[in-house]
Amino acid sequence: MMDFLNLIFEPLQAVFQTFRVFLPNFLAMLVIMLLGILVAWLIKFIVVKSLHAVHFDSWSDRMGFTALIRKGDVWSRPSAMLGSITFWFLIILTLMIGLGALKIPAIDSLVEQVVGYMPRAFSAAVILIVGYVVAGFVSQGVLIAAVNSGYHYAKLIAGALRILLMVLILAMAMEQLQIAPSIVLAAFSIIFGGIVAALSISFGVGGIEAARRMIERETAEKPDAGKAKDEIDPL
Amino acid sequence: MSDFYQTGVITTLHQLGKTSLERIEAELCDFARTRPIALALPALYSEFEGPAMPGIVQELAKVKYLNEIVLVLDKASEAEFQRAREFMSPISTEVRIIHNDGKRISAIYETFARNGFSVGERGKGRSAWIAYGYVLARARSGVIALHDCDIVTYSREMLARLCYPVANPNLDYAFCKGYYSRISSKMNGRVTRLLVTPMIRALQQLIGPHAFLAFLDSFRYPLSGEFSMITELARVNRIPWDWGLEVGSLAEVHRNYSPRRVCQVDIAANYEHKHQVLSADDASKGLMKMTVDICKSIFRTLASEGVVFSDGLFKSLLVSYLRQAEDTIMKYEADAAINGLRFDRNEEATAVEAFTRAIAMAAQAFEENPMATPLIPNWNRVSSAIPGIFDMLKLAVDEDNK
Repeated sequence: MMDFLNLIFEPLQAVFQTFRVFLPNFLAMLVIMLLGILVAWLIKFIVVKSLHAVHFDSWSDRMGFTALIRKGDVWSRPSAMLGSITFWFLIILTLMIGLGALKIPAIDSLVEQVVGYMPRAFSAAVILIVGYVVAGFVSQGVLIAAVNSGYHYAKLIAGALRILLMVLILAMAMEQLQIAPSIVLAAFSIIFGGIVAALSISFGVGGIEAARRMIERETAEKPDAGKAKDEIDPL
Repeated sequence: MSDFYQTGVITTLHQLGKTSLERIEAELCDFARTRPIALALPALYSEFEGPAMPGIVQELAKVKYLNEIVLVLDKASEAEFQRAREFMSPISTEVRIIHNDGKRISAIYETFARNGFSVGERGKGRSAWIAYGYVLARARSGVIALHDCDIVTYSREMLARLCYPVANPNLDYAFCKGYYSRISSKMNGRVTRLLVTPMIRALQQLIGPHAFLAFLDSFRYPLSGEFSMITELARVNRIPWDWGLEVGSLAEVHRNYSPRRVCQVDIAANYEHKHQVLSADDASKGLMKMTVDICKSIFRTLASEGVVFSDGLFKSLLVSYLRQAEDTIMKYEADAAINGLRFDRNEEATAVEAFTRAIAMAAQAFEENPMATPLIPNWNRVSSAIPGIFDMLKLAVDEDNK
């Protein structure tokens, strides 16, 4: 009879023991999560207030950042959006730290992977933001220069350059995120190489006549070559 | 039938005899190929529940020459916005509704505010301005026509005649204002008859010949809310957001264009819409509010053109205006008598007394703060400060209308 009871109580005791070990970890996770949410909210508040203080929203409007986020159907203030991103980033970070406190090997490994991925995600975000601003700046500069030079297709040239730069930046960001790097690299090489090849062919074929004329002009014997110069220059 | 007398410094296009609507519309279809026409409609949701809007939609459904219709819907919930979309569905022309209270358009207004652009309080001025912005953002139309949405006597001939002078490339008008008579069993249009015209003439008497006053006096109905214009004008004109909208817009047209490129056209034999109460005892509402805003707008425009307003000038203006208005009452009494219209002389005199008080209030407000301006900045300035604003506005409206 005792053996039978032991058969029942031993697993229960084991579960109880596991629970006794697990409970403090679980409570630690809850405390970490609670504190994390509080800190995330506080940091979000500080970020939004700081961005307001430096007129970040107006700056975004002028730099085209607002127009960019509107394309994603986001209609909140840019500062509020950055505040929310910061908040959720911190919540995810808190969740990772909290789950780490549970000391479960499978979760520890997952947390390690996510934490290891964060620098990559951060640098990809920086590449995208800086790249967008630079692409806008370069395309605006090209537009002004092309318009001032009297090109008919100034807007088209500036738009095409902007798209090319954005493709380049997107490829860089995806490479950074390690999302199918070989495919991204191959696709980028094909697209960019294709564009450059197309341009080379079109300029090359289209410019044969112009190049011939230039070469002929350079190599042609000048009519007054060999003649002695007049001593009196009419000019 | 109308006479053919040309009044003042602008061109007057009369309705001479019975004109063929079919001919005008056929020509407009032709003109619209080179000068596509957009129709802007500032509307309140309550107007969809009134008697005018069903008739307007019914008539617009028959119009073939319009390129786009931009309706600016004010004071409407999301459900009411959807109902307005359904209401406009019989119209075959592409209709875009700008939902002023929607989250996307509210974000656009917030963008203006944080960049230091005061677009004023909600009303016809702000609605017209945002409609122009959307037409400019789409860059698909060369002409913008605008009319109110409370016209009970609306017909598509009204719209055709309004669009014709600006859409016709051979005429080369940049701005065209509609005019009409305002009669029911009696004469309506008190603010134009008894305030604007007598006051302009009183001002001419006091300060002598003045280009802006001559320009304003040339319009048979300067307060009419119906006009058409080239799209470029929408880009450079500033719009008042208060009741001085019509007069203030004319001041901007006068400032930016030669009177040779401005005309007025007879668009209807009669016109009936929602009437405002006089509100003689309260200058913050009704016709009194309208009167004060109109007077302030005229004073500001004249001051900006170098006219010096002194206390004495304002005192003389009140007396001079009163005399002009009394003479005007007598003229309209005779006009009403021969046409068999009811004419309440006491009511007209009461209105003149109220308008005299309104002029005094406007004068006081002007003296206290001559720089106060209700003008919304023009789109050139806004797009210069916020380069992506047209993209944002287009995106907001297109998303709302999906």
